[in-house]
Amino acid sequence: MMDDLERELGRFEDLKHEDDFSDDNSTRGSKRTKPRRMHAETPRETGFHQSTRICLEHIREALLHHRWQEAAEYMACYPQKLEDTATSQSEQYTELVWRLSTEILHQHPNSKLDDYNSIYERMKHSGIRHYLMICLEHSFHLLLNGHIENAKNQLSAAESWRYGKESGHVRQQQIVKLIQAYRSLLDYMIWCDKRFTHFDTDPSSISNADMHNYFRQASVNLKEILRNPGVWDPFILSYVEMLDFYEDYEEALNVLKNYAYDNTFPPNPNAHVYLYQYLKRHEAPERKLIKVLKILQVLVPSHELMLEYSSLLLQSERKKDTQKALEVVLEMLAFACWKSNLDAWKRLKDIIEKLQLEKNWKDVVSDKMAERKNWWPALHFTSFHFRTDSEENPELVEVKASLTKILCPDLTMKYSAGQESA
Amino acid sequence: MFEANMDEEWTAGYREPCVQCSAVDWGVSDEGRFYCRSCHNVIERTREVVDPTFTPGSSRVSTIGKGSRTKKTERGHQWNICEGFQFILKKQAEALIRLGVSPRLKDEVLCELWRLYLQKSGQAFTDRPLTSFRVNVRGLDSDSESAAEFSGRSVSDTDGETVASSTVLSNAGSSVDPPPCSGSSDAVSYLTAQQLRSSSLMTMRKTLALIHIALVWIREALTLSDLLRLVNEGHVPYVNAFEELPDEMKLEGKDHLIFKVETIPSHESVHKEAQALLHVLQLPPFPPISCQSLLHPALLSLRYLTELNLPDELHLWVCRLMEQAGLEDQTVHTVDPLTLYVLPRYGVQTAALIVVTMKAVFGVDDLTEWEFSGQTGEQDDSGNLFNLRRWYKLLQAALIRAQQNKEHDTARKQWRSKRDVSTSRNRKWVAVKKKRTAEQVQICFERLSSRPAGVERIGPSSFRFCWGDEDGADGPGLHHLTLDGVLTLKHGVLTPSHSTYWHPALQQCNYWRCRSHYLKFEPTLPRMFVWLLKLFSFLLDVKPASLYEEVLRVERRVFGSRTPWRKTETKTETKTKTKTKTKCRPKTKTKTRPETETRPETKTKTKTKCRPKTKTKTRPETETRPETKTAKTDR
Repeated sequence: MMDDLERELGRFEDLKHEDDFSDDNSTRGSKRTKPRRMHAETPRETGFHQSTRICLEHIREALLHHRWQEAAEYMACYPQKLEDTATSQSEQYTELVWRLSTEILHQHPNSKLDDYNSIYERMKHSGIRHYLMICLEHSFHLLLNGHIENAKNQLSAAESWRYGKESGHVRQQQIVKLIQAYRSLLDYMIWCDKRFTHFDTDPSSISNADMHNYFRQASVNLKEILRNPGVWDPFILSYVEMLDFYEDYEEALNVLKNYAYDNTFPPNPNAHVYLYQYLKRHEAPERKLIKVLKILQVLVPSHELMLEYSSLLLQSERKKDTQKALEVVLEMLAFACWKSNLDAWKRLKDIIEKLQLEKNWKDVVSDKMAERKNWWPALHFTSFHFRTDSEENPELVEVKASLTKILCPDLTMKYSAGQESA
Repeated sequence: MFEANMDEEWTAGYREPCVQCSAVDWGVSDEGRFYCRSCHNVIERTREVVDPTFTPGSSRVSTIGKGSRTKKTERGHQWNICEGFQFILKKQAEALIRLGVSPRLKDEVLCELWRLYLQKSGQAFTDRPLTSFRVNVRGLDSDSESAAEFSGRSVSDTDGETVASSTVLSNAGSSVDPPPCSGSSDAVSYLTAQQLRSSSLMTMRKTLALIHIALVWIREALTLSDLLRLVNEGHVPYVNAFEELPDEMKLEGKDHLIFKVETIPSHESVHKEAQALLHVLQLPPFPPISCQSLLHPALLSLRYLTELNLPDELHLWVCRLMEQAGLEDQTVHTVDPLTLYVLPRYGVQTAALIVVTMKAVFGVDDLTEWEFSGQTGEQDDSGNLFNLRRWYKLLQAALIRAQQNKEHDTARKQWRSKRDVSTSRNRKWVAVKKKRTAEQVQICFERLSSRPAGVERIGPSSFRFCWGDEDGADGPGLHHLTLDGVLTLKHGVLTPSHSTYWHPALQQCNYWRCRSHYLKFEPTLPRMFVWLLKLFSFLLDVKPASLYEEVLRVERRVFGSRTPWRKTETKTETKTKTKTKTKCRPKTKTKTRPETETRPETKTKTKTKCRPKTKTKTRPETETRPETKTAKTDR
């Protein structure tokens, strides 16, 4: 935590005083100097600076050793640094106090929500640079403690916050987006609450209109924000759920497709999962589902949906799909999480059984196993595996044993050739 | 402390940050509503809730009626900076008297010194005053009312230049005079004069120097180290001393630049300051500091020996050494314009004497003293022998504890004044806001940790360590133990068992060119010696380097050509001579020769004396001739 803090603080060397209205972007670049360490001892240090420097050292030491009580004691002595008039880096010290304080509050057994509120409010108002960031953090904390209304108020206040040129800053705009996103998410949560409370009673009452109001508030922001490249998993889910509720299926599908297929977005397996789940929920044709899962398989070969994928492929009539299913399952089994999964092995057996109906099945299997035969026996079919499997899952032993000869016919098997024969 | 401006009168201490821009700069519009002057956000008129647990996000504020529109131009009396210092000096003297210093300090000594200072520095009692202002000095014994009395002079002459600096006051309709940028009448001229000539005008540090001179004058048993420790522990007002100024003397703006203190000055700097002050004051001879005086090394060393848990028997040796060094004479310690116009550093000098004594008795060369400790450990059946190893272990543990406590106290020390100390009106709102933020965070963590911020006040004590059996003591007392383990009785005379004394080259360097060689030599010096220096420098809160210089000075006195070496003469009968092993290369002429000082462990080298043929060991200075040739004693 401390390293990050220092690096982050280093970036704001050029910060000027908050009340300095001559703040100008063009002059800022030239003022950038070599970052210097914030709390280094200087030869002509005043007693005040010495005190705060040593105090900070003690706080760090206490934090690193998880001595929270001691850290809190020293923290009570540190805020005098905020009154330091001799430094041009007051903004940095504000941030320092903010981060140290919240860290201590998080860990100290006696900390109360009031303390958090007090610290957050104070820090928010002692510098404009971090106003939005602190608002966001504050609302997260309120959310964690179940104060959804308060959190929403925080976010709404932050949303409407403006401070001259400062609010036009790129960094601040990004935070504003986050704040809007989270505010919309909270709108969605309230919408959910209302849906469940009013669903049974009267679907076409005033409360329904109220609910729709929340939906509108949320959707305006979300629609805008989801266009920005990024990982928006919880936001997209809530947006889709609301669209779904109001039966705007086309928009929902569009949003999900955009999220999954837009190349400017970072690769995100969940995007495909959501698309798949949505399609499945709306009973899309199998070919479409297979198409989505195909991409997911490339991204995450060990994904839990691969079982479903293989079963879909297995149900398909096409010969190629069965071979594809074999490949999918074989690849899955190479991962530790699937290694001793009974379902996966059973699926493999099903696939082999289906393949065996064909004439050239041996060629197909040996073809797929060609690249694996070197390491598969060691991975799956040793006497050690046999022992552990038979202890944990006797059924698995049966399935695996039946497959050994088919998959690796060339090698002398150790799997069944343990002390006891299967 | 608030200026009498109309808006401020109405906003009446409303210091909440604006919701829009989080600035704290409220004005009142024509309709009587509060608005933020930086973003023009109009808010509901509110009053500050005086509740330390108040959080702006969650608490409700109540509206109040419009305050009275009568404006008060309460600005306090008109006063001069000198008077501020006079008041602070008075408070400091009173604090010292409360701590047990003789009451003569304030009225008889400090007051006279202060008057003399004002006169000599040309600030008062003179035909041609330094600046245009007049100072009305009453005695320090006078109470605050009379101290704050002034000649009723108009303030208009200083107001001219302060108008420009108060540009924030752009509130229309205000017919108030522009307030001056300082509460005192002469802060600006004072600062200018100070900056221009770095003159002898008063500073906060100088108050300590003056007090120190006064303490020496009345021969009080308070060394400069003690004074600074009392200041540091807050028993003598210094940090935020201006808080004690009477209400009539309002500190504003520029005044803070003069009275604000962000550091406790070091021993060295205050001594220098006192020295300079001594020249300004041109005092008559000080009252003599004789053997009976507590500042005299004879008695001061006793105090340090007690403090450091050294055996009382060692005092005898310190006194003998003092005689050798010619330091028992009171003229060496008494400030006199004719003989000694240097303010002696009593504490440091005494510490140096003790260090030299320990070198003579124990060796302190990383070898001899441990050999002796081993021997005494074997001999000691009764447990009456002083064992240096045991002492070292005790002291080392105590020293580490004390250093840690000191560091913790430093970390916890609170420097900020409870009062508003912004230096300019522009900064005032920022300062108020910052102060409130800091206070809130502090309160929050004080509640969380259930421990108040700041250093716990402990009773003033002359001693840093405590030896004995009672609770909280640093360890058992060793004062009663005897030095028999390291002393031998030879021909009826007790002498140290070891016969060599080592010391670095005593050649005196050019004071102006090279200040101290300590840092350069430190790695080559015996560890035990360095540890001793550190111990004493912690005790006195001085730099080890200056103590090291003082030790060299004492050694120069002991071995120097001017001082007779009587101690060795007495020992010649017993044949155990205290030989001086001076390591020096005869060819070297340069003054800084770090390589010539090797540690005495390397016996082969150290035995090479410059004149090994010298028969007359009675005069060791002949061995040290290469140094003493150029060396002069420190007088």
